[in-house]
Amino acid sequence: MSLYSHRRRVDAVAKALCWTGTLFGLSWLVLILGALIYEGARGLTPAVFTEMTPPPGSSGGLLNAIAGSLVMTAIGVVVGTPLGMLAGTYMAEYGRYSKLSTVVRFINDILLSAPSIVIGLFVYTVVVARVGHFSGVAGAIALAVLVVPVVVRTTEDMLLLVPGPLREAAAALGLPRSHMLLRVAYRAAKSGIITGVLLAVARVSGETAPLLFTSLNNQFWSTDLNAPLSSLPVVIFQFALSPYKDWQQLAWTGALLVTIAVLLLSISARALSSRGNYK
Amino acid sequence: MTAMPVIETKTSTKVSVRNLDFYYGQSHALKKISLPLYTNKVTAFIGPSGCGKSTLLRVLNRMYDLYPRQRAEGEVLLDGENILDPGIDLNLLRSRVGMVFQKPTPFPMSIYDNIAFGIRLYEKLSRSEMDGRVEAALRGAALWDEVRDKLTSSGLGLSGGQQQRLCIARSVAIQPEVILFDEPCSALDPISTAKIEELIDELSERYTIAIVTHNMQQAARVSDFTAFMYLGDLVEFGETNTLFTAPQNKKTQDYITGRFG
Repeated sequence: MSLYSHRRRVDAVAKALCWTGTLFGLSWLVLILGALIYEGARGLTPAVFTEMTPPPGSSGGLLNAIAGSLVMTAIGVVVGTPLGMLAGTYMAEYGRYSKLSTVVRFINDILLSAPSIVIGLFVYTVVVARVGHFSGVAGAIALAVLVVPVVVRTTEDMLLLVPGPLREAAAALGLPRSHMLLRVAYRAAKSGIITGVLLAVARVSGETAPLLFTSLNNQFWSTDLNAPLSSLPVVIFQFALSPYKDWQQLAWTGALLVTIAVLLLSISARALSSRGNYK
Repeated sequence: MTAMPVIETKTSTKVSVRNLDFYYGQSHALKKISLPLYTNKVTAFIGPSGCGKSTLLRVLNRMYDLYPRQRAEGEVLLDGENILDPGIDLNLLRSRVGMVFQKPTPFPMSIYDNIAFGIRLYEKLSRSEMDGRVEAALRGAALWDEVRDKLTSSGLGLSGGQQQRLCIARSVAIQPEVILFDEPCSALDPISTAKIEELIDELSERYTIAIVTHNMQQAARVSDFTAFMYLGDLVEFGETNTLFTAPQNKKTQDYITGRFG
């Protein structure tokens, strides 16, 4: 038997294993998405976007939860992104060779993989327990704490990808470092950093655990950030576990909405990063 | 072995390197280098990889300052002023000593902005004055005719040779006195290379030029003076014609005849 035919058989087996593995993984994903769409789409009525979360037995929607989620995610991102970008910029540019960067990177990696419930508990202790009540602010802070490590990481990674000669070229023109950063390096890393921020939004928008400890929930329309604030993940959590059929339906629909939002964010992040600003 | 700098009365000295030592951490990369760059002349640095020619070039605009644990000792006088002096304004120095790199490094912005960018740092110009400066710079780099209709499109869309000329235009635009070329043609095809060489020749009428090259024919073609370096030492420095036809040193002779390196 020739070596060649042996090699071909090994190749066939390896290929078959790869296919099986891929199909196995994908089928679960398809099942989950399928169930989500099948169950969620049924309840997708205009009322979902116009009415508040109902008491059990009456009809309603998810408006307050959607609004709450949007507000807290927006604040979390607006607060977390600049912090993360500043830290990432320090590590990639100013402190590239310093000890401090190594330490910050290590801690950031821990933060990045920390269970979000821990973040929730932390904000609970630091904010909620001190103030004495749950609030939208506390929820937004928890989300910001989750956004920071993602943005730190991508900012640093993307800036490190900016070719050294490009930096040198900027320096060779006599550009001060700040100009080099703002006008050249950030520009070259732009799509990567935006991708990172979008992924951070995607990650944060599905978080339930940190919000359970911070913003809790609110049955009614509220824009008061100093009071408990409703959010989609928490509503899904609460409604899905309830014994009421109409609540369960709203939970499915809410889950579908979150999934679609995250999917859209991921797709646009993908599109942005594949377009790329600088190769 | 130290080389005797050529004493020329006809030309003045723009840059004078004196007893320059350079260290990457512990490694001694340049050893007691002394050589002049004559005003409005092209000086080529040649030698095998690792001989220190790029290092020497990067001392002349203190590019090495971007990195930790690199240091230079000795003197490098630019118009009599020691640029190794810690008090020197690096940005000002680099605006006087421009640099063009091995790989083209256009900024991720339009062709126009690639040029205007550097100018805006030093001068406040009206729109029309700026247009004129950009055009002059692009003409100076023999690129104007190829890009005049697409000044607003990205500099990244140009070919490699065009990008390299864009980088030259960008350096020229801020009106430096010295331009350093670090193997500017090593990523280019022969036609683009010929254009760049022609350009270097033209630029030498107005600028003092130093060029690092691996290509000895290129050194012979473009330069007036040549420095041959080996393992951190300056082995021989002289007029290009003399150095290539009648080298004083055995090592130089071996290198230019292709016996090693």
